[in-house]
Amino acid sequence: MHYTFTIEQGNFTDAGQASSSVKRTLKQLGVDPANIKRTVVALFEAEINAVAHAYGGTIDVDIDDGKIVMVVADQGPGIPNIDLAMQEGWSTASAKVREMGYGAGMGLPNIKKNTDDLKIDTKIGVGTTLTMTVNLV
Amino acid sequence: MAPTDTYFRHSLKVNDYLCSGCTTCMRICPTAAIRIRGGKAVISDNKCVDCGECLKSCPRKAIYIKQDDFNLIENYGCRVALVPAVFIGQFEEKYKTKDIYACLKKLGFTHIYEVEHSVEFLVDLYKEYMANHPEIRTFISPYCPAVIRLVQVRYPSLVDNIIRLKSPLDVAARAILKKLLDQGIRREAIGIFYVTPCAAKIASVKYPVSNQDTHIAGVINMDFLYNKVKLMLSNSDKDAEAINHTLTPADVLWPLSRGEAANFPGSPYAVDGLQNVIQFLDRLEDDKVDAPGLVELRVCEEGCVGGVLTTQNCFVARKRMENRAKLLARLHHDQQELTYDHTEFSEQIAEQMVIPEIKPRSLYQLDENFGTAFKMAEQMKKIEKELPGINCSACGAPSCAALAEDIVRGDADVNSCIFINRHSEASEAAIRRVWGDCVKSETK
Ligand SMILES: Nc1ncnc2c1ncn2[C@@H]1O[C@H](COP(=O)(O)OP(=O)(O)OP(=O)(O)O)[C@@H](O)[C@H]1O
Ligand code: SF4
Ligand SMILES: [Mg+2]
Repeated sequence: MHYTFTIEQGNFTDAGQASSSVKRTLKQLGVDPANIKRTVVALFEAEINAVAHAYGGTIDVDIDDGKIVMVVADQGPGIPNIDLAMQEGWSTASAKVREMGYGAGMGLPNIKKNTDDLKIDTKIGVGTTLTMTVNLV
Repeated sequence: MAPTDTYFRHSLKVNDYLCSGCTTCMRICPTAAIRIRGGKAVISDNKCVDCGECLKSCPRKAIYIKQDDFNLIENYGCRVALVPAVFIGQFEEKYKTKDIYACLKKLGFTHIYEVEHSVEFLVDLYKEYMANHPEIRTFISPYCPAVIRLVQVRYPSLVDNIIRLKSPLDVAARAILKKLLDQGIRREAIGIFYVTPCAAKIASVKYPVSNQDTHIAGVINMDFLYNKVKLMLSNSDKDAEAINHTLTPADVLWPLSRGEAANFPGSPYAVDGLQNVIQFLDRLEDDKVDAPGLVELRVCEEGCVGGVLTTQNCFVARKRMENRAKLLARLHHDQQELTYDHTEFSEQIAEQMVIPEIKPRSLYQLDENFGTAFKMAEQMKKIEKELPGINCSACGAPSCAALAEDIVRGDADVNSCIFINRHSEASEAAIRRVWGDCVKSETK
């Protein structure tokens, strides 16, 4: 099953709609709550990153009987140093983003922790694409 | 659905004579438990959580709460009124608590027992429970029965966060029962009647989560009893005997929002109002909020003073109860004869307060089998695309998404959407199933 969502730059209040909608579907399918939580946490963090650090983008979610694959692609500045970005506590979040309660530098590490596979494709000045997989079995 | 599949039962009922099928309640229901069938609202037992929003919203007063016949009390020699503090908050402050209780005695009760008398005892039990479960970070209070049901059907992953202990009402019922039995009164002669502010409490008494006996013989709706007492109070007859105040200020405040949380360390969350509770649980489920310790959740605004069966504005009743708590604090301070007798609460009662199990009852899951659920979800998505998405409710479902779900579950027909196959015979038949005779035949 395939789902598509768009992400708007700077819109923190509406971010989370994709993860809510995916959550509902996973509940309909009777997916184990621990896997639902992992999926929702990872997708939400990726969504927020596209809102906070890039200029919006798109989300594609594919669910089949074995796994959930989520692709979050943004048009943004790209990530210059992925190793650094993956470190807990490393953040370039602006003062405004911090005011919104984000910017602890925990998002990417959290995604890593909650998914079974994480692929980051990023190009400076073009954008970043996160491919996250959660195995259901 | 076969009757054996019904695991929840409720006291919220629809009066078919008054119901016009206007869809107001159906659109407001937080668990999408209502459909229109035959031109009338129909409540699904397994989805309803007894929050009472439908009753509050109905413009024709067609939704009511079934109560026990008041004359039932005559069947018992020893007739106990189990009165919550919210009941006293219904009356203007010029009426004294003892006058109100005197009226209850005149109405036939032999004993009055204040529910919140059990609160202090219960707080200790909750604290002990929390200490015994260090693996759980957030504990959902089991006080509001509508919250327990809401978690069961909408947030099944959070059922283990509910404190599996009974409410002040259960403790109070057991305590008074024990007291009377200890006095040598026969069990058959004792009838305990609870004065309820809401439908959820009735359901928790009549159909408890754990199927254990609640020791309560009947439930009386608060608005009904209010009217009876109010009438007697105005015909003022002042030979009321003084009763010992047994409630502490904290007891009186307990049913109000924040009143329960105040008894626990670390300034816990206290959330009131149905939509707020839903938003909070949504975030809790996704780990978007960190709530260590107890969380107090009440589906009614301002707590139980906002219950559907209360008669006063919730803020007015709240103020009166706060004033009563202040008065009690002063009396206590003045060393007047305030006796807090807690001897009826024993170790034995503590043991009976454990709820063995709270089962998750997911409202969303389409089928037990993943493969089947997957096919249904796919089909639902397809159907939803066909539907106009305007949520007009003319199909008898609260939204287009809900109709799509009903269709894949086999509970509705795509032709009941008035935008699909307009004017076809199949569509007319389907619409007639939903609206009955409200639909004028076009073919004749
Ligand atoms: N989509 C993105 N585009 C550009 N830069 C990004 C993107 N996602 C992450 N980054 C960079 O990586 C850093 C670390 O991201 P991470 O999500 O771990 O933390 P954060 O977003 O700064 O804070 P938190 O997620 O805890 O609110 C960010 O500060 C940012 O510099
Ligand atoms: S908040 Fe109180 S009155 Fe309202 S449903 Fe819950 S228990 Fe009943
Ligand atoms: Mg982030």
